[in-house]
Amino acid sequence: MYLDIYGDSLCALVTAAALASSGHHITLRPPNLAEWQSAVGKGRLDIQEPGLDRLFAEQISEGRLSVGDIKAPPRPEVSAVFLAVHSHQRALAEHVVTVSAPEAGRQRVVINQSPFPVGTTEELQLLCPQVPVVVLPELLQEGGALQSFMRPARLLLGCDDRDAEVLVREIFRPFNRLSDHFLVMGPREAEFTKLAITGMLATRVSYMNDMANLAETLGVDIENVRQGMGSDPRIGEAYLYAGCGFGGPGLSRDVLNLSEKLSTSGVGSELLRQVIEINERQKEVLFRKLWGHYDRNLEGKVVAIWGAAFKPGTGRVDNAPVERLLNALWAQGVIVKVHDPQALPTLRDRYGERPDLILCERPYDASQDADALMLVTEWKAYWSPDFDHLRQGMRSPVILDGRNIYDPAYLRQAGFIYYGVGR
Amino acid sequence: MVWNDLKAHADELAQRHLADLFVDDPQRFARLHRKAGPLLLDLSKQRLNGDTLSRLFSLADARELKAWITRLFAGEEVNGTEGRAAMHWALRAPTGSGLAPTEVEALVHGELERMARIVEQLHSGQWRGYTGEPITDVVNIGVGGSDLGPLMVCRALEDFAEPAANGLNVHFVSSMDGSQVAHLLRALRPQTTLFIISSKSFTTVDTLYNADTARTWLQRALGDDEAVIRCHFLAVSSAVEKVTEWGIEERNCLRLWDWVGGRYSLWSAIGLPVAIRVGMARFRELLAGAHFMDRHFLEAPWEDNIPVLMALVGVWNTNFLDIHGHAILPYDGRLKYLPSYLEQLEMESNGKSVTRDGEPVSEKTCPILWGDVGPNAQHAFYQLLHQGTEPVTCDFIAPARRYHEDVHSEGAGELVRQHELALANCLAQSRLLALGEAALPSDEQVPFYKRYRGNQPSTTLMMDELAPYSLGALLAAYEHKVFTQAVIWSINPFDQWGVEMGKKIATSTLQAIREGDDGGMDVSTSGLLTFIRNS
Repeated sequence: MYLDIYGDSLCALVTAAALASSGHHITLRPPNLAEWQSAVGKGRLDIQEPGLDRLFAEQISEGRLSVGDIKAPPRPEVSAVFLAVHSHQRALAEHVVTVSAPEAGRQRVVINQSPFPVGTTEELQLLCPQVPVVVLPELLQEGGALQSFMRPARLLLGCDDRDAEVLVREIFRPFNRLSDHFLVMGPREAEFTKLAITGMLATRVSYMNDMANLAETLGVDIENVRQGMGSDPRIGEAYLYAGCGFGGPGLSRDVLNLSEKLSTSGVGSELLRQVIEINERQKEVLFRKLWGHYDRNLEGKVVAIWGAAFKPGTGRVDNAPVERLLNALWAQGVIVKVHDPQALPTLRDRYGERPDLILCERPYDASQDADALMLVTEWKAYWSPDFDHLRQGMRSPVILDGRNIYDPAYLRQAGFIYYGVGR
Repeated sequence: MVWNDLKAHADELAQRHLADLFVDDPQRFARLHRKAGPLLLDLSKQRLNGDTLSRLFSLADARELKAWITRLFAGEEVNGTEGRAAMHWALRAPTGSGLAPTEVEALVHGELERMARIVEQLHSGQWRGYTGEPITDVVNIGVGGSDLGPLMVCRALEDFAEPAANGLNVHFVSSMDGSQVAHLLRALRPQTTLFIISSKSFTTVDTLYNADTARTWLQRALGDDEAVIRCHFLAVSSAVEKVTEWGIEERNCLRLWDWVGGRYSLWSAIGLPVAIRVGMARFRELLAGAHFMDRHFLEAPWEDNIPVLMALVGVWNTNFLDIHGHAILPYDGRLKYLPSYLEQLEMESNGKSVTRDGEPVSEKTCPILWGDVGPNAQHAFYQLLHQGTEPVTCDFIAPARRYHEDVHSEGAGELVRQHELALANCLAQSRLLALGEAALPSDEQVPFYKRYRGNQPSTTLMMDELAPYSLGALLAAYEHKVFTQAVIWSINPFDQWGVEMGKKIATSTLQAIREGDDGGMDVSTSGLLTFIRNS
């Protein structure tokens, strides 16, 4: 089938590459066409995801994927128009819908995947009655986005038009083979479900962080508690990790959206407000531990940070704990040395040249002569460092483990002063 | 003799009702109002005429007002009994103004820079408490000038609160009996609370007791560690040694100087709570407004000089029309604490009965001041103004515009109508007080108990809007009014010996309460002590 995808979000790229790889003919229409053409030429996309660069380049060279002008209407032969724009690009989405009516006798569907407020899909439908507008909320997990697109646990489809549903099912048939992953409901319900899922995940994380703070005062290791809790089938293991806070463009935004939605509708949600507050507080947990360790005076200290991305597998730092940590440390006169496998260019763009930020290409360069090491993002390469080498390079062997990936007993034996979260 | 001349003139004018004066001269408003910067001063509802003013100007000349103003701004020792200059004006002189000596200018602006850094740290959530959490609540502990000034301005400028300071609350604690501090501490978290101990001398008992309570409260929650004090206390004082003795490090102590009197100090680091509330840029606008008024006071001829006119009209009312009550009536709820502030400024400055030469004064000095937000006072003491037996002068104070600020985008329409209602009341009350029944449409016969005799003089001070700049100008105008009156009365407005002895006697009385030793007490005090001990 011929499919046009409007937007340059992660969802747009993954959808384009994955659907092209299953044989569809795709035109991706990003807002900055010129920049895109040069990025595509270099074979490196702005958004980094495992496998995405390669698949994207492959599909371009196979001729099934091309890049086009966002202002142009869909090609006449197109069966589905995807809206995968950012939350602030509502006007753009509206424009695309108005020019998406198919030629007489042709069938077409508009599939909205953008993170707009609940009810937007129905509003978009009103703009162009000649084409059905459905919603397929994006449920990608960053760092494993392709995988989660190609082997979806579920596909939430908000659609009340039978013909449109048949068309969407046909497009996604290659990824829906083992069993039927489609869950069909009204557009509003699908939009709200997506927010509710995010809210629930965030709530679990903040709940665990609250428990972790309590565990510390009780002298209990939250990691043991987590395993015990996760073994209960009513709870399950996912999203129970205590740590230095969640971030990322999606999770925080969706929770905020949901919380705002509830407060403007007059319902109000004390719970979600707390969830966000606990998380924001948690992003500074490593700072607080360091502050206490050095007797509330950090002037002139050197601190190494391992991992800046909001999660492993991505270079993005939006709403990541590292933002708050950097500001907190700098305000106290600390020099910060950061290593991250992917996020260094983003940090350089964001903060520019400054004497108290040193970006390091190798983890041990960052920890050299440091008064403390903060482990913020649990990239696999950090899990088993050469601890002797690490300790010898540091000015003081202090490790603040924001993801609880190390064994406290082992580290203490190896001569480190260890701080975890909730242990 | 100018004084006797004025007495004779007053006897003549005393026969004339204010309503008659308005009939005599249709140009009365044009003749008797002045504008300067953001302020408009209307004296046309005072019981005087143009002739009165020129006689009062002669009085000012006879008392060498010009020379005294020069002495004030030259940094001379105008506070004789304490051997100090009074240079509050230097606190708001911008760099390079040439008004203050360069070394004073450097000191003042150095402290402003330090204030700016603290404000920035608090606003960005980077002032950390003992546990590393950002400070969310700032409590100013002070009394008198270290409380009323910042409290009054914080409330007055609430619409200008710094958006970056959202979530940062500013509180005030002053009363010595602990009722405010106990109430407040119940609602706060020690981990996120910062105290500003504001005391010029750092010996004020009221403040130190409250500070001790705060320290104990913190230490109970966080432990007895010197870092608790470092993270949770700032001091504003001229006595750095006493501050460090109490446990606050020098780098957490903002300075003021001997040459600033407590009730003139809100322009210094004493104004830190204001800067925290409205941001440093707005705080500097407040200073700029006051500096504008300093220049105006220095340079304008008497007939256009707002503070001088306010002062001379006050002298006229007190000494020649024999009126000894003065009400401060702001028609804007944000000026709620202005009456208390001016009560201190005027009564503590000019409530004196000894001249600069140490002789008893021969004429009355400062009248009794009191006041409240006008519309509320209308339901309280206005009855006495309209139909009581005491003559009273009033200052009506109001901004012309309100509720056009961004913060009021929602519901602004309704609020603007409420402000119009307040303004209408302001004008109606001053009119009725001045004219009495003549303000009413017809001269129908009414029983005595419904009559308004009028003839109560008042001044109306309007601002284009209540903003940092206009508020700064207004407050500085009152400061210079007070100085001008002190010159006319030949008294020192910058000392306050009358408040010292009570503090000393309280110390021995405390002994009596705690140890039961009534030796040397009068029978009334002994009787009361017995009741206290037996309760």
